[in-house]
Amino acid sequence: MINLLSMAIMMGTPLLFGAIAEVIAERTGVMVTAIEGIFIVGAWAGFVGGYLSGSLAIGFLFAIIAGVIVASLYGWICIYLKQHQVVTGVAINILVLGLSAFLYRVIFGVPTIPLTVNPLAVIPIPLLSSIPVIGEVLFNQNILTYIIYIIAPLSYFMLYKTSLGLTIRSAGENPEAVDVAGINVYKVRFLAVLFAGAMGGIAGAFYSIGFLGLFTTNIIGGRGWIAFAICFLGNWNPKGAIIGTLAFGFAEALAIYMQAKGGNSFFPNELFIAIPYIMTIVLTISRKSFNIPTKLGIPYKKEN
Amino acid sequence: METAFFELNKISKYFAKVIANKDVSFSIQSGEVLALLGENGAGKSTIMKILYGLYKLDEGKIFKEGKEIKIHSPKDAMGLGISMIQQHFSLVSSHTVTENMILGNVHGVIDKKLLREEIKKLTEFYGFNINPDAYIRDLAVGDQQKVEILKALYQKANLLIMDEPTAVLTPQESENLMKFVREFVAKGNSVIFITHKLKEVMSVADRIIVMRNGMVCGDLKKEETNELDLSKLMIGKDLILANRDLTQKMISKEVRLEIQNVTVQEEAEIPTLKDISLKLHKGEVLGVAGVSGNGQEELCEVISGAILPTSGKIFLDGEDITQKGIREKIDMGIGYVPADRSRDGMVMDMSIAENMILKSSFDKKWQKHGFIDKKILNQYTLKEIDEYSIKAPSPSVVIQDLSGGNQQKVILAREVDNGKKVIIFDQPTRGLDLGAVNHVHQVILNERVKGKSILLVSTELSEIFALSDRIAVLYKGEVQGVFHHDELTTEKIGLLMAGYQVGEES
Repeated sequence: MINLLSMAIMMGTPLLFGAIAEVIAERTGVMVTAIEGIFIVGAWAGFVGGYLSGSLAIGFLFAIIAGVIVASLYGWICIYLKQHQVVTGVAINILVLGLSAFLYRVIFGVPTIPLTVNPLAVIPIPLLSSIPVIGEVLFNQNILTYIIYIIAPLSYFMLYKTSLGLTIRSAGENPEAVDVAGINVYKVRFLAVLFAGAMGGIAGAFYSIGFLGLFTTNIIGGRGWIAFAICFLGNWNPKGAIIGTLAFGFAEALAIYMQAKGGNSFFPNELFIAIPYIMTIVLTISRKSFNIPTKLGIPYKKEN
Repeated sequence: METAFFELNKISKYFAKVIANKDVSFSIQSGEVLALLGENGAGKSTIMKILYGLYKLDEGKIFKEGKEIKIHSPKDAMGLGISMIQQHFSLVSSHTVTENMILGNVHGVIDKKLLREEIKKLTEFYGFNINPDAYIRDLAVGDQQKVEILKALYQKANLLIMDEPTAVLTPQESENLMKFVREFVAKGNSVIFITHKLKEVMSVADRIIVMRNGMVCGDLKKEETNELDLSKLMIGKDLILANRDLTQKMISKEVRLEIQNVTVQEEAEIPTLKDISLKLHKGEVLGVAGVSGNGQEELCEVISGAILPTSGKIFLDGEDITQKGIREKIDMGIGYVPADRSRDGMVMDMSIAENMILKSSFDKKWQKHGFIDKKILNQYTLKEIDEYSIKAPSPSVVIQDLSGGNQQKVILAREVDNGKKVIIFDQPTRGLDLGAVNHVHQVILNERVKGKSILLVSTELSEIFALSDRIAVLYKGEVQGVFHHDELTTEKIGLLMAGYQVGEES
């Protein structure tokens, strides 16, 4: 059971990176529908950087850069060229999926045994990690888990208690008001998308070099979309995002746990693997009231 | 001569080769109220948006106290003490008053306590009764405007530009606004007031700049002019106002449309219409006055069939039509000119002809062998274009390419035809210029003479007074009373619109 909870926290980590990224960007009014592609490119770049340099830190740096590049393409098309966000995102996701598979082969050929790196190590926090149960679940994790659990509350504080947060929230509610206040709406939105790119890149790399230690083309398998859904389900609030990721992290952990145990005839493995996806659908339908940013998904068009 | 506080010198602005402003020059002194008067599209807002940094000027110079200045963004403008209140407020409705006031004006972590004190001081100083923690969405329009003004004051503006500030206010609220404007300039500040209402100009301005076709065509002191001269300058020709035929004073006894105790309420929410009862006679214009958002739209929609009443009944010529849908009501002869024409009245990307049959496309008269016959349709549309003097080269022109006034004429033509018995006009002249307004008024009066029953919803009191036989006042979804045209004064109606009962002494 402790194993399962600990695994839930770990599997929730990249989802939380993605969900926080999505929350911040969507609060400015831009849905980052390219999040899946950003996850994929992060996983790919993280592995390439990590494998070639032998340093995971460089791997993550690569992932951030790659995530920002994809995000800037998406942001440029959707914010400055004012194109449709869903269509653009879908196109970019398909492009990135193909490109990362292709470039992986260009660099590494088709290896008979999958290439691997040593994934992120667990860093037990002294004293805290020796608390029974809680210590093992919460304070026996890798560095990224600690980082995101610092970022998440900080992002809440930023959104609701600082002028930057006010600007971000206003941009998604009434961009004209932001414009009239002398703040460049495009810049606010673009920077938020780039931030999402960096965070999403890290999230993607978490799967390749943070946890599995290898890259496959279907490594992300829709988890970017799950982060996207968590943002909705969490009501565009970092608090909600944390709760959402814990639930999904648990579902994923359960799937991995059951897989490791071996299936039984009643509940085949595939069913457990499908849990997070089924959960997304069920929760999206059952959620009643949404606090959706008024101008979410609508490009800002300034006259002139 | 005294150096001007702000001076605009030969400013021109082009939108994709269309001239929005040409060689606009005028100045404003400290302690002065300047009215910028002109029809829609005369370039009033454009020139002010240039001064506020929202638009970039193409030619010309701006001076402050004799020194040339460059304004690239609203931030620059604010730095120079300029603040502008947009026609459509730029407030975030899901945020609080405080949050809206400080947007873009504070940095780092927000110190709520300190801000609350500052804002309280400011509101008390100007006698504004606004709770800094209230959410904008919960405030009345007049109060929202106060928040906009507070925002400007918080930025320490000494030139306040207001774009059509009274369009959404009751007469009393407008009066309070004027009082504030006077107090504000008495402190050495300046105000530029964009408007097309002549009365306001005469009551509050020191000096008047009249604009037409993007150019300044008059710069006058208030004492040296009058409403008539101003209107001539503004339109460039004499205007013959449409007026009710006063000989037809008697209202027919025949009731055409009767609304009995109609309530509209969505689940647990506050009812948007509360126990409304109205009678509309043959050949009558029933004006519905009120500040917008007091149930006017619901009233129109409940009659046109877009929404069904929660309780109550509606009769047309004695027949119960309460449960009938939109299409049945069209067939029965109820026409509806909606307030938001681009949202509810037409399909912007479709042609004039297609928009003409938007609500009656199923009618056999357009069809031949089950298909729409383009020839019939085009002939019909051409006839209407001619009759309503719609400025359009052909029936196949996309309606989006017409001016607002001409779009409205298309809808008018269609609804007058649909409305064989009853026509509902919701804000039929909103956003139109004087010439087009006059045309719409003429159409309404003509249909009245033909014996149709007309429900005229408007927030413009002058329009209500000019056209209505009887006037109903709506406040928070309730009818405050129905009066004959002569029973009401502007003051009385203003009180009713603000929710007071007439005759009630305070």
